[in-house]
Amino acid sequence: MRPLKSMRVVALAVVLVAALLLSACSGGGAAPSGSSGEGSDSSAGGDKTFRIAVGIDPDTLDPAGMTTTTVANMVDYIVETLVKIDKDGNIQPGLAESWQVAPDGRSITFKLRQGVKFHDGTPFNAEAVKFNIERILNPEVRMPLRASYAVIQSVEVKDDYTVTLHLKEPAPYLLGALTYTAAGMISPKSVNEHGNSMTTYQHPVGTGPYVLKQYTKGSQLVLEKFQDYWGEKPYYDQVVFQIVPEAATRESLLLAGQVDMIILPPTSDIPALQKNPKVKVLLAPSDRTIFVAINTQHPALKDKRVRQALNYAVNKEEIIKNVLFGAADVMDAPMAKPLLGYCQTGPYPYDPEKAKQLLQEAGATNLELKFVTPTGRYLQDYQAAQAIANFLQQVGVKTTLSTMDWPTYTATVQVPPEQATVQLHILGWAPTFMDAQQQMLQFTKDNHPPKGLASSYYTNPRVEELVAQANREVDQAKRQQLYCEAARIIWEDAPWIFLWVQRFPIVHSAEVTNISYLPNEKFDAIYARPVQ
Amino acid sequence: MKRYIIKRLFAAVITLLGVTFAVFLTVRLIPGDPAVVVAGPMASAEEVERIRTQLGLDRPFLEQYGTYLSRLIRGDLGVSARTQQPVLREILARLPYTLELALVSGALATITGVAAGVIAATRRYTLFDYLASFGTLLGVSMPVYWLGLLLIVLFAVRLQLLPAAGADEPASIVLPALTLTAYSVALVARMTRATMFEVLEQDYVRTAWAKGLPLRRIIYRHALRNALVPIVTVVALQFGALLGGAVLTESVFAWPGIGLLLVDSIFARDFPMVQGIVLIYSTMIILLNLGVDLLYAYVDPRIRYG
Repeated sequence: MRPLKSMRVVALAVVLVAALLLSACSGGGAAPSGSSGEGSDSSAGGDKTFRIAVGIDPDTLDPAGMTTTTVANMVDYIVETLVKIDKDGNIQPGLAESWQVAPDGRSITFKLRQGVKFHDGTPFNAEAVKFNIERILNPEVRMPLRASYAVIQSVEVKDDYTVTLHLKEPAPYLLGALTYTAAGMISPKSVNEHGNSMTTYQHPVGTGPYVLKQYTKGSQLVLEKFQDYWGEKPYYDQVVFQIVPEAATRESLLLAGQVDMIILPPTSDIPALQKNPKVKVLLAPSDRTIFVAINTQHPALKDKRVRQALNYAVNKEEIIKNVLFGAADVMDAPMAKPLLGYCQTGPYPYDPEKAKQLLQEAGATNLELKFVTPTGRYLQDYQAAQAIANFLQQVGVKTTLSTMDWPTYTATVQVPPEQATVQLHILGWAPTFMDAQQQMLQFTKDNHPPKGLASSYYTNPRVEELVAQANREVDQAKRQQLYCEAARIIWEDAPWIFLWVQRFPIVHSAEVTNISYLPNEKFDAIYARPVQ
Repeated sequence: MKRYIIKRLFAAVITLLGVTFAVFLTVRLIPGDPAVVVAGPMASAEEVERIRTQLGLDRPFLEQYGTYLSRLIRGDLGVSARTQQPVLREILARLPYTLELALVSGALATITGVAAGVIAATRRYTLFDYLASFGTLLGVSMPVYWLGLLLIVLFAVRLQLLPAAGADEPASIVLPALTLTAYSVALVARMTRATMFEVLEQDYVRTAWAKGLPLRRIIYRHALRNALVPIVTVVALQFGALLGGAVLTESVFAWPGIGLLLVDSIFARDFPMVQGIVLIYSTMIILLNLGVDLLYAYVDPRIRYG
């Protein structure tokens, strides 16, 4: 019996090891089972493939479902909008050649570009626009940003290439909202194909310069040039978005020449990358304001002199230089420059003496505040918070700083005022479209949590009035003036420690050119090409 | 034997049930409203409410758990809160990557670990033995994350030999597999060395020496064969550890397995997905343990089951 048993042990062990070895050998080849075919295709294409490493795996490819800028950025290669924004935040023609806002502001009429085809060959026309607008208004469709479009009452097809949106009330911000990917035009036919339906839309078919070829979850999105594209044709036959969550790994991929472009390298490596001749660093201006939201309802912080003091106490230039490695600009208004409605209202220069004096006047000595920050959500957020806490300490404001993961963090700070447990928290606010209406969501009572995300609980009757008026004002010059006036009051009231407008780091190989950015944290690399 | 198997299977099912409850409870104790996370930062309050109802989060805890279990029995793991796709389909699409990584690393760790262990045991207190101990110590103490980045910098950036990340070509597996191997080879080597040590002390080995059998024959035919049972156990259990270790490795190397999916899903508060992945992990580890126990009982006549 015994020898037999031992033989069995050996046999079993051999089988086990053989199985492991076999899987090891076949494993390598079978690895990218889903994608290997395409993978070798793309390498065969050689220099005609452009590779971009991004950090986020798409949760959805349905334009209507967009909430994440990086994902929207990918979908922008496939799906286009009626109007677009340019580098400076101005609205430009897209699928609509021109538009006319009615004098009463209650309708907008678009003249559509002719001869535009969807990737499935169906024509883009007024009916398609009607279909798309009605889809994003349809409550059955999951659409997180619907509020920005809810003002549309109906869509009227005037002729094949003319379409009118009728509005419930004047909404001068709507054009801006229509530039966002969520309002991207998909082929009406495609909602019944590729496993798509009206409510679950996974394979976008748009009019853009690239067609979705393949998406491997957690791995990559492969796009192919659309031969019938109506506009200027891009250089690369194929664009591959590689999903790489680790910033350090993205950087390595670029330095190893395995991708042509990355976004968001490790912030601390920016100076080294700037010195590296093999790559180019683009610190793109963005619309993301980073601030410390002050709980304006907290007894010790109700006096605006205290809040102003906190603003004077922090040396923002110093932090940007030493902690953010230059990847930001000091805020000089409660919103970023590319926004329609921006005007300069600041700054609060670094002045610790003035801060101490203001605190004294307000009788706010021995302040002790709870201060929280996310880690890794914004560029160097935790490190910046430590520096801020240190500056506050120097004017006699004690803080206890702590950090937590993002969902826990939002659950902690997005609570009604009576449940607030912290007095200071770091937050970033990036309007999805370039309009002060979006930024003012942070300063109006209607948006105090739990209804909205205005977590400093700031309100001022005059600001409420000005903003409400501006949100409906049809005359853009007058509108600009109203927002500007509101912004001046907000700056003076200091519901935030106004910090900086974050820049959006894009790094690409020095061998490619024509890479630019949009002011809403998007890269613009559709027309990238090799350096001649 | 049959009774033993049935008993062990029953215990496995109970364990699995316990796991489902523990996971269900834990994910709900994490602060952060999943409806808010899913809806995104700009969603209106009504939208958040709609999602909450859709996800069933407005119902009492036990009712949610009951619904979950009854669906589970029918093989339905639910729908991902983040992507709206069936959880099972998403997991199955990514499971092969994780299994492949674990298998390759497991094979590498087994071969190098057993070889190093055997040599170390037969050449006790020689330079090789010390080097092997040092090497295995280094292997266990180096964080996966750090080792992974070092390998990337060396092989992808400096030498430009291997892909740094992703899974688009066969060579992509090399760096993550090496990283993961370093993590588990140490345990296999140490276990092999210790077991071989013990076996080499046995009377029958001494008899074999006395008979003047060649060294090779003594080691492979007599000693290693008898040392294999505990080694097989360690290797099998190590496989479970490899599946776990893959979570970090997959993040560093952007390897699209379920470890990476788990990390993404936790950050997105995607409850159904987190539950699904933990369930799959637990099932695999419970099955491995079951397999090892049964194998043990089968191959070693000294073990009595009852």
